[in-house]
Amino acid sequence: MEAAPPSTAGRGEGGGSEPGRGEGGGSEPGRGERGVSEPVLEATGLVREYGPVVAVDGVDLALGEGEFLTVFGPNGAGKSSLLGMLAGALRPTRGSVRVRGMPLDSGEDGWRHRVGALSHEGFLYLQLTAEENLRFYGRLYGLTDLDERVGARLERVGLAARAGTRVRELSHGMRQRLALARALLHDPDLVLLDEPYTGLDPSAAGVLREVLAELRDGRRTVVMVTHNLGSGLELATRVAIQVEGRFGWIGDALDIDRSGFERFYHEVVEGRAAGSAGARTGAGGPGEGTAERRGRP
Amino acid sequence: MQVKGMRRWGTALTVLGLLGLILVYWMSFFWVSTEATQGIVQRIFYVHVPAAWTSFLAFGLCALTSGMYLWLRDERLDRAALAAAEGGMVFATIMLTTGPLWGKIAWGTYWTWEPRLTLTLLLWFIFLGYFMVRGSTEDPGKGKRFAAVVAIVGALEIPFIHLSVIWFRSLHPQPVVVRPDGPTLPGDMFATLMTSLGAFTVLFLGMFLLRYALEGLKSELDARTRRAIA
Amino acid sequence: MSAYLTQVRAILWKDLVIELRTRERVLVMGGFAVLSAVLFDFSIDRALVAPQDIAAGLIWMTIVFGGLLGVGRTFHLEAEDGALRGLLMSPAPRDAVFIAKVLANFTLLYVVSLLVLGVFILFFDLELGGSPAAIALALALGSLGFVALGTLFAAVSSGTRLGETLLPILVFPLLAPMIVYGAGATARLLANRPLAEVAGHLRMLGAFTVVAVFAGAVLFRFVVED
Repeated sequence: MEAAPPSTAGRGEGGGSEPGRGEGGGSEPGRGERGVSEPVLEATGLVREYGPVVAVDGVDLALGEGEFLTVFGPNGAGKSSLLGMLAGALRPTRGSVRVRGMPLDSGEDGWRHRVGALSHEGFLYLQLTAEENLRFYGRLYGLTDLDERVGARLERVGLAARAGTRVRELSHGMRQRLALARALLHDPDLVLLDEPYTGLDPSAAGVLREVLAELRDGRRTVVMVTHNLGSGLELATRVAIQVEGRFGWIGDALDIDRSGFERFYHEVVEGRAAGSAGARTGAGGPGEGTAERRGRP
Repeated sequence: MQVKGMRRWGTALTVLGLLGLILVYWMSFFWVSTEATQGIVQRIFYVHVPAAWTSFLAFGLCALTSGMYLWLRDERLDRAALAAAEGGMVFATIMLTTGPLWGKIAWGTYWTWEPRLTLTLLLWFIFLGYFMVRGSTEDPGKGKRFAAVVAIVGALEIPFIHLSVIWFRSLHPQPVVVRPDGPTLPGDMFATLMTSLGAFTVLFLGMFLLRYALEGLKSELDARTRRAIA
Repeated sequence: MSAYLTQVRAILWKDLVIELRTRERVLVMGGFAVLSAVLFDFSIDRALVAPQDIAAGLIWMTIVFGGLLGVGRTFHLEAEDGALRGLLMSPAPRDAVFIAKVLANFTLLYVVSLLVLGVFILFFDLELGGSPAAIALALALGSLGFVALGTLFAAVSSGTRLGETLLPILVFPLLAPMIVYGAGATARLLANRPLAEVAGHLRMLGAFTVVAVFAGAVLFRFVVED
């Protein structure tokens, strides 16, 4: 159940007390206020199991152009698995994903040009230079104007001076920046980021924040998993909290009062972890409990 | 329910196969005539050859269901491949133990690089690889896919292995073996061989169905356990 | 089609450049080749056996063992920073990745196999015979077939707990044709037998290799999917 457009305080959390699945709100007409007819990213009934372990337990999601979804959640909530499925790197045990209408499991690979992903692994080759890494990926993606693109991307992440340095000699922060450059090299419509702030020093984090802010250009759609509450909220148009494989809560970022969010987050996480009963009765459920603190944006 | 039906058929075929086996033993020991040059020991032939045939049948079944599994992703196909592989390995082991026994007694050496024996030895190792790969992954789904690939590649290369082993054997001095093979096989020997072939095949199919049903029950149990925990 | 070739070339270039820069595999395989020849030489009592008689077999086995060393590590360089994921998420088709890796491994192994041949010729006092090109062809076909199977199963084994130690068990049973026909042809050629005698060997070796490469290209995607 999706949060309705922001209007009055306190409303809109009703969806949070739902222990059920499908809180992403499929392609309902309610999406209309974003002016989107066809979602850029559409996930239906996503389930991911590793043998007996169920990492993702039924997630539905639809994002239109220009949306920026931040997903928070404790470790082990299945966020990386979810992101992996959205990126087409992991095959869902059940359910499906579409990017711009193209299903990921159809055998057609056209959607790969539209998706860029950043994970805590950089996907970089340590023995190649920064520039060589980008050129390599550029050739894989069939990009033609490589010289300018690579140069521009390196500039943007502040690594122009390090173009000829081998990745193994770069610091972690620089590698993350390079990985970001790689993820964006082919100008993807959909950008998926898995905890990009991990291990970054403040200057690298600053560069990251700038680049991410640029992604909110109305054209691109971003899904970011992070533990960084500040940046996550700052950039998001929508926010979700994933707990035990499902979205415990998902809503518009505008509805969220930053100062109260951390407490709200804990309530959602614990509310769900304690079982659905607690959430439904409303006692300590995320909806009612935080109604008062949900001031106007 | 499907599994029950499988079990009934499996049990029926296994019993039938065992009865057939008793018949075969009777025929091999008491009915069929003794082979001229080798004497009594030649009767191992009626177990040795059908075991080989059955193991290759099993492997073919394993490779086929593995290929279909990769294509259709139906778990039942993977279970069938597993059941076939187990049966195949058992019969390959039978073949590989009876062979050297026969060889030692009949013409003094345990191993003669006889093509069928060599091929079965390599097949046995392909089966080994199949099981090792299945069991050594973190994610069981991966293990199933890996094993399927092993089976398929094995099946594709078996013809080459077969030819190479035959060619190789042609270089080696072979003991003079009157192989009671082919169309020149005397009538009663032929009959015994065919009966044995039939018995072994039926026995294998029965065991295969039982094993397949068992694997089906196992995964049903796993699924229910998971649901109960959740 | 040209996009495909660009991708294959890009991956091939990447693997070869990295190999050139680290020189890990080539040194290990080359060193192994030479040392094996030395030890094999020591293992032969020249009073009982003429080294020339068994050289061909030893050459091929040395190539196989050395090849294992190199091929087993194929996916290591991708594992370092999760690079294989990045590669698989790109539009490059799975079989392109496989073919590129096979070509890279083949380049490596073929060079090493020629080295092995040279070392054995030196240590075992062999004569190259009348058709060195045929020997080179046999080694090429054998290396390619071996590398195809090895690369496929290297991907399999690196996904298991046992890792590369599983590789010989998976690959060796399938190598019988390669050894029988390859070493057989090499032995005859070194003994100066006419080319016609080994034509059949080379044909079978070729067929074996074609099947190996094709099977690998088709099945690789099932191995690396997640």
